[in-house]
Amino acid sequence: MTNDLELARIVSEEVLATEGVYSLSSGKFVEAATYGAGGTVRGVVVRPEEVEVHIVARYQPDRAIPELTNTLIERVAPKTEGRKVAVVVEDIEVGDSANL
Amino acid sequence: MRIFNRIVMAIIFLALLALGVFMVLYSFNLFGFKLSNLLNNNVLGLQTIQNGLKNFVNNVQNANLMPLAIAIMVAVAVVGLILLILEFKPPRPKKVRMQQGTYITRDAVEDEVLSATNETPHILDSSARVKARRSPGASVNLQANVRRGEDVGAVRSDLRERIQQRLSQRGVPVSKLKVKLHETDPRQTQSRVR
Repeated sequence: MTNDLELARIVSEEVLATEGVYSLSSGKFVEAATYGAGGTVRGVVVRPEEVEVHIVARYQPDRAIPELTNTLIERVAPKTEGRKVAVVVEDIEVGDSANL
Repeated sequence: MRIFNRIVMAIIFLALLALGVFMVLYSFNLFGFKLSNLLNNNVLGLQTIQNGLKNFVNNVQNANLMPLAIAIMVAVAVVGLILLILEFKPPRPKKVRMQQGTYITRDAVEDEVLSATNETPHILDSSARVKARRSPGASVNLQANVRRGEDVGAVRSDLRERIQQRLSQRGVPVSKLKVKLHETDPRQTQSRVR
């Protein structure tokens, strides 16, 4: 069984490798992060029953946010040792290529 | 209710602090405050309070209350009931629920709404307020200014359409969209020309 910090790191890598995720976000008022002896992982909160992922989504004209979050949940869920996965979209980043 | 509770608790603790300070002063006979003076000189007015309470209870027993007293008692009961209901009501969520396990912050929705508004012709400036609901979807309250003499109905419908289109492209559900347009002098708005 991995500890919370290790689990947060694994989840963080998986999230950042997902297309459509611009970055992880630590939130606005209360920092969304996992703390441990070896450091801090911002944007991933590991709780006993749930893993909460805070992201900045990249705007993709052909892909709505729920599709992105579904993909994220599918990718992350097998690595969370049975915990539920919740995704919080903190912001939407519109890149230059979006032409808006 | 959380803010209300905090304010009430802050007031109670301040009152307790003040009482504690006076208790120390009276207990140690500091600065001329003596505990024995409190009862001897009726400083606290305990006798008056006791008499007032006695009269009130007697009046209640004899069904001889003044209309004002009845009104105050009813008001206190109603306020108490409202506070009780509010206390039991679950707090409003802070994030907008999109679907099971997926949320978006109110700020992100607000940014999208304002971006859509700024792209709408004839809108001089705008402000939006987004609330999360317990059910999926955001409640959006938008206020925008247009130049006097504009076709407000047409601008409103264009604006609603653009906001709904933009949010649906992003996949953000909107359960309530309220658009209020004000006709105003462009010299009083952020941008004068569109």
